[in-house]
Amino acid sequence: MPLEAPADGVLLPPYRVLDLTGPEGVFCGKLLADYGADVVKIEPPGGDATRQRAPFINDEPSSERSAYFLFYNTNKRSVTVNIETPQGQDLFKRLVASADVLIESFPVGYMKSLGLDFDALKNTNSGLVMASVTPFGQTGPWSGYRSSDLISLAASGFMQITGDPDGPPMRQGNEQSHFPGAQYAAAAIMGALFYRDMQGGEGQHIDVSQQEAMITYYTDAHPALAWMQRSENVTRVGTNSTLVIPLGAYPSSDGWISAGIITPREWDNLSQWMYEVTGNEEILNDDYKGGNQDRAPFNDIITALVIDFTTRFTSEELFHQGQERNLVFIPVNTVSDLLIDPQLEASNFWFDIDHAEAGGLRYPLGVFDSEEVSPSSNPAPHLGQDNEAILGGELGLSETELSDLRSQGVI
Amino acid sequence: MPHPQKPLAGFRILELGPYVALPMTGRILASLGAEVIKVETNKVLDEMNFIPAWSRGGGQPEFQRAKKRITIDVRTPDGMEVFKQLVKVSDVFMTNFRRNILDRWGIDFPELRRLRPDIILMWQTGLGGIGPYYTYKSYGILVQHMGGVSLMSGDEGDPPATINTSYSDYHTGVFQPVAIMGALLRRSLTGQPATMESSIFKSGAVTAGPALLDYQSNGRMPQRIGNRDPFSAPHGVYQCQGEDRWCAIAVKTEEQWSAFCRAIGSPGWCGGAEFSSMESRLANQDRLDQLVSEWTGTQTAEDAMTWLQEAGVPASIVSQGKDLYESDHLKARDFYRPTPFYLADRERPAYEWDHKEGIAASNPPKLSESPMDYGPYSNIGEDNDYIFKEVLGLSQTEVDRLTENQSLF
Repeated sequence: MPLEAPADGVLLPPYRVLDLTGPEGVFCGKLLADYGADVVKIEPPGGDATRQRAPFINDEPSSERSAYFLFYNTNKRSVTVNIETPQGQDLFKRLVASADVLIESFPVGYMKSLGLDFDALKNTNSGLVMASVTPFGQTGPWSGYRSSDLISLAASGFMQITGDPDGPPMRQGNEQSHFPGAQYAAAAIMGALFYRDMQGGEGQHIDVSQQEAMITYYTDAHPALAWMQRSENVTRVGTNSTLVIPLGAYPSSDGWISAGIITPREWDNLSQWMYEVTGNEEILNDDYKGGNQDRAPFNDIITALVIDFTTRFTSEELFHQGQERNLVFIPVNTVSDLLIDPQLEASNFWFDIDHAEAGGLRYPLGVFDSEEVSPSSNPAPHLGQDNEAILGGELGLSETELSDLRSQGVI
Repeated sequence: MPHPQKPLAGFRILELGPYVALPMTGRILASLGAEVIKVETNKVLDEMNFIPAWSRGGGQPEFQRAKKRITIDVRTPDGMEVFKQLVKVSDVFMTNFRRNILDRWGIDFPELRRLRPDIILMWQTGLGGIGPYYTYKSYGILVQHMGGVSLMSGDEGDPPATINTSYSDYHTGVFQPVAIMGALLRRSLTGQPATMESSIFKSGAVTAGPALLDYQSNGRMPQRIGNRDPFSAPHGVYQCQGEDRWCAIAVKTEEQWSAFCRAIGSPGWCGGAEFSSMESRLANQDRLDQLVSEWTGTQTAEDAMTWLQEAGVPASIVSQGKDLYESDHLKARDFYRPTPFYLADRERPAYEWDHKEGIAASNPPKLSESPMDYGPYSNIGEDNDYIFKEVLGLSQTEVDRLTENQSLF
């Protein structure tokens, strides 16, 4: 397949990616689209279900105003095809014939039931790279099980190590299950395209299990190894570590601040600063000196002293003044803080994107910054906005054919 | 027909830096077939060699498998010279040291580009390599608070909910291979190299996603609703038999509600008006959660999950390490695999460390034609001879001299 070079200032060649994914894989297509791939979202004629997901821009429900849809579909195009009808399947296969990549996240077996599994599609296009992102993967005894954000957070063990040790396992907010599987799928797709275009290989199928992807997103907690080597289950430690003191989040005068004191020198710096501010000599006690886990026996008294100290400052003051003393204080941000953070401002993180219905908003797109390449900044597509260009222009369907398909509910 | 090479065969990547995100990027690229050379320059062994503390190194293979590992003291003139020779034969240089440290060592990106004009540079830091925080130090587990996620988790009024890991590092770790492979493809098509800067802070902040748009347009702060869901109930984790055993249940549709009721034996309350629609279940979810807990309390977490899943209801045990290690599902997918590791010991050189057997996760994506390599596991410095002599062509005499003066160690 001839490879077209990326446009000036763009990272990826304009690979054609067909995106059939739901929430499990939607971030994969977004990442590829943000960095220059030509990602075409294939929606059922009524629109992707997440177009109806609240909240909406200006709280006005509309299929073009879902914050979720707008965020996860930047830089994609949209065509509508009902792949559950024979005509829709035929149309879809014609799109596959000229595509580089197909990503999907349907329940295992659904694509096969439509005759659109990889083995069938590779006959249409031997160079096709197809990635499936599903809760438990394509094989194994759990592969048919149903999931959701919460269920994937539970099955992977994320929840086992999130929250308070005295409370229930806790869900991470904002649907964190969307990221690991989708990110791995994007990396694997790049590998498969390398294999095809740089090494002379064929297309292939990529199977990504959300559960496995998420397990590797807390590798440094070593859950399976801890069981294997010492018959212990790693668990929740709450907001503050009970081993490394201080480590975690502490109240400040205007919110929360996180802190981590790991080395002996950091402790010396912090205890001296605490003494200067509070005048309490207790903190200089020689028993408390040392690194990493040496203060564990004195957790209660040291934590109380730390809170007496942190609550005398704003989070901003601790963040900057701490760094001046070579101490790691890190702000506990919420969305309003992120939008005015000077570091994000300085590193091409935000992109102003104007959407005909949703208006102008700042989107967080710049996962990396470069003078040579930059993300694109096109809004999420209107439903079916590219039907004419892609189904008409590329596949050559006439105005009459398009209108027939429309009236039959195929597009 | 000749069998095609691995996806990244023929590409060489130089990795300089410890911790989580950067080594994870290196492992992914190595597993796709690149020759990833991990340079260890710190004679005082960094903490990663001991992770987790109770295992003294059993956690290292998950970050370092499939790489070549070499030891150079870049602070010595001879060591720096060897490092620069490696730059000349590499396609990518990636590091996670802050600018002040790179400056101290004399590693300067424009100079690296002069040595190897088409090199791809990936510079990753905690908070940002450029911009106002560029000198700031950070620790992985804390940066999750900076990206906004911890204040979207847990219940209203509670402290930020923390996941007990260097969470945001992993986002960076998997973003970077996409960027690096993209830059290599772009270079082969346009002849243009690229310098890219990434940070754990930015990677984490991206995941705040839709909440950032909601705040801008509606002024709404993210709601902290624990394990509940704004649109469906029952939705949460429910305590089962045994210590700290839980089953997560998410009933999203009317069909799943009917299936749920059948699976738990159609108790009378299931049919009551209180729970007859999603709206009423949401309105009465305190009572609903209590009733669901009464049922799960009579079950093991595994049984609750199996009963519900067999009926078509999304449900899962909250997996613990034991569950993952013994999982039939993960075994069927060959997820965890045996690996050697070496018992880290500050008192002895690495080549004298005791050899042990442990396990490591394989790379999650399963590629049908060019599977990701699990690869061998090298100890610190194990590949010195191969890299210095075969790749750089140094003579044994020269290697001996550099070892003698401690530039290589």
